[in-house]
Amino acid sequence: MKYLGLILANLGRNKLRTSLTSVAIMLAVLLVCVLLTMPAGMDFLIENITSNTRISVHNKAGIVYSMPHAFTRKVRLVDGVEAAMAQTWYGGAYEEKGVVTFPNFAVEAEQARAVYPDYNIAPQQLADFERYRDGAIVGRQTMLRYGWKIGDRISLKSTVWPVDLDFRIVGEIPNDRAPMLWFNRTYLDEALKSIGRPGLGITGMIWVRASAPEKVNTIMRTIDEMSRNSEAETACETEKSFFSNFLGSLQGLVTIILLVTGLVALCIVFIAANTASMAVRERAGEIATLKAIGFSRRSIFGMLIVEVVTLSALAGGAGVLLATGITQALRRFAGWSDSLGPLAGFIITPEVIAGGMVLSLAVGVLAGFLPAYGAARKPVVEALREVF
Amino acid sequence: MAGAQPPLISIRHVSRRYYRAADEVHALEDVSLDIAAGRFVALMGPSGSGKSTLLNIISGIDRADEGEIEVAGQVLNGLSEDELAQWRARHIGLIFQFFNLIPVLSARDNVALPLLLTKLSKAERSERAEIALRVVGLAHRSTHSPRTLSGGEQQRVAIARALVTDPDLIVADEPTGDLDARNAEEILGLLRELKNTFGKTVVMVTHDPRALRFVDDAYHLDKGLLLEGHEAERATEAIRLAAGGASVFAVTPP
Repeated sequence: MKYLGLILANLGRNKLRTSLTSVAIMLAVLLVCVLLTMPAGMDFLIENITSNTRISVHNKAGIVYSMPHAFTRKVRLVDGVEAAMAQTWYGGAYEEKGVVTFPNFAVEAEQARAVYPDYNIAPQQLADFERYRDGAIVGRQTMLRYGWKIGDRISLKSTVWPVDLDFRIVGEIPNDRAPMLWFNRTYLDEALKSIGRPGLGITGMIWVRASAPEKVNTIMRTIDEMSRNSEAETACETEKSFFSNFLGSLQGLVTIILLVTGLVALCIVFIAANTASMAVRERAGEIATLKAIGFSRRSIFGMLIVEVVTLSALAGGAGVLLATGITQALRRFAGWSDSLGPLAGFIITPEVIAGGMVLSLAVGVLAGFLPAYGAARKPVVEALREVF
Repeated sequence: MAGAQPPLISIRHVSRRYYRAADEVHALEDVSLDIAAGRFVALMGPSGSGKSTLLNIISGIDRADEGEIEVAGQVLNGLSEDELAQWRARHIGLIFQFFNLIPVLSARDNVALPLLLTKLSKAERSERAEIALRVVGLAHRSTHSPRTLSGGEQQRVAIARALVTDPDLIVADEPTGDLDARNAEEILGLLRELKNTFGKTVVMVTHDPRALRFVDDAYHLDKGLLLEGHEAERATEAIRLAAGGASVFAVTPP
């Protein structure tokens, strides 16, 4: 602590160089944090929205193929099944742009409470969802993105079904990462019948809630067995497995992102090490003097390494703060512009913040180690002879 | 000189060799010397004579290859680098030719630097640094940066830094080498004052013939050997003549 004054004075010695190095470290940590939000975001998503008692039942041929809606009733009768909710892709585009900017599904409103108790949707909102035929429950991410609030009325133009629907928002899924919109499948069923279609006799997916985690495997086996040799054989997966597989297609991208992140981190270590070497070389005379008047090798090493680590920690901390600010701003802007939509998923989690700070400290330690060790190790008489 | 008291510095058959490229250089050869406490001593000789090497060995900055060196009751030969550093911090005050101040610190903070190695509080360190600056006549410049001080003032700050820990021995390597005549005399006078007023032992390497007017003893080295007897007298006389006007480099002993 008593060396702090000397360390800070040395940091302020060459303000331009200190500033430029700080900015380089700050930008690198900022970039790394933003890049890390993607895999971290996926992990967070899977960990937070999935349950160990929820099962996805979909057509064995793929999730784009449907199953008879009547199969849902059979699933409910399987031993250990607490509830099951049919879910069908509506593919509604907002503001008539013809582009689906958030997932929206026709669901069995009366089952939502039992299948998704962990979503913590307000009971009154669930009651309204069941009561209003045109009621919709929307994930908070989409609510924030479009500035919607409960009570608002919105229209979606379906890219799949020949009917466009108007909705009143009656509830919110209180999760910043939840983008989906649910509405009552009866509404879609009746709308289809009103234009002479046979109604909604199919479902794209059935979400099942097991009464206990240990019953999940048996339930999955039973359901798949029930559908064997039918027109729509099913493939059951746990919710975690379903989302992991769904997001798995992005794994290659994530690997590239992590590779780029590592290279950025390595670059900044070299830049900081070069700066630290220059600083130590410039101060060789002063370091020799400090050693001559009695500073030990350990204290010289400690002061130099703390100096570099202080710089990298402050700059890295600023990078983390900036990354948090930028991602927060992106989430807000995403509500104003659809083209920024995916950026709303960039959320700085505590893990990313910790990763950014660990990187900052590691940059300091790695960059400072060799110059500090070299300066500390050199015999004092040799150091004095070299510079005076 | 020292009476019955043991010498503060006792050098016995010290030799020091080092390598310059493939050549072995004999910087010191079998040098023996005693320096009593409270003396102001000059080590003189031409460039390459070994006087700075001897000063470095006395101050524990360098090590002897052979022989024994004892300073302030401590035999230095067996000490590790860190033990030597610790010993220097407690017993030695160092003054360099180019002052070697830290430019980003004020005069007071420069003086207080060696006190960082003690257990003194910040207030105590500042107080002692102020006192040391007062001793060298620079109390009014304590907050100034070294860059704003003249060469003579910077060397006074360096002397205050050497003095601040109240060491047994002050060693100075060419303390007037980078100063003009007036400042050089002031610095020599100040070093003499440290000896007279505070009883400090001062060992100084110098080329400056004026130093003979200030020191108690002058020892002469040439080619790594300590000159004695007639040779030493001749060297002293030559330097006295040089102080009268001739260049010191023209009268180095044969």
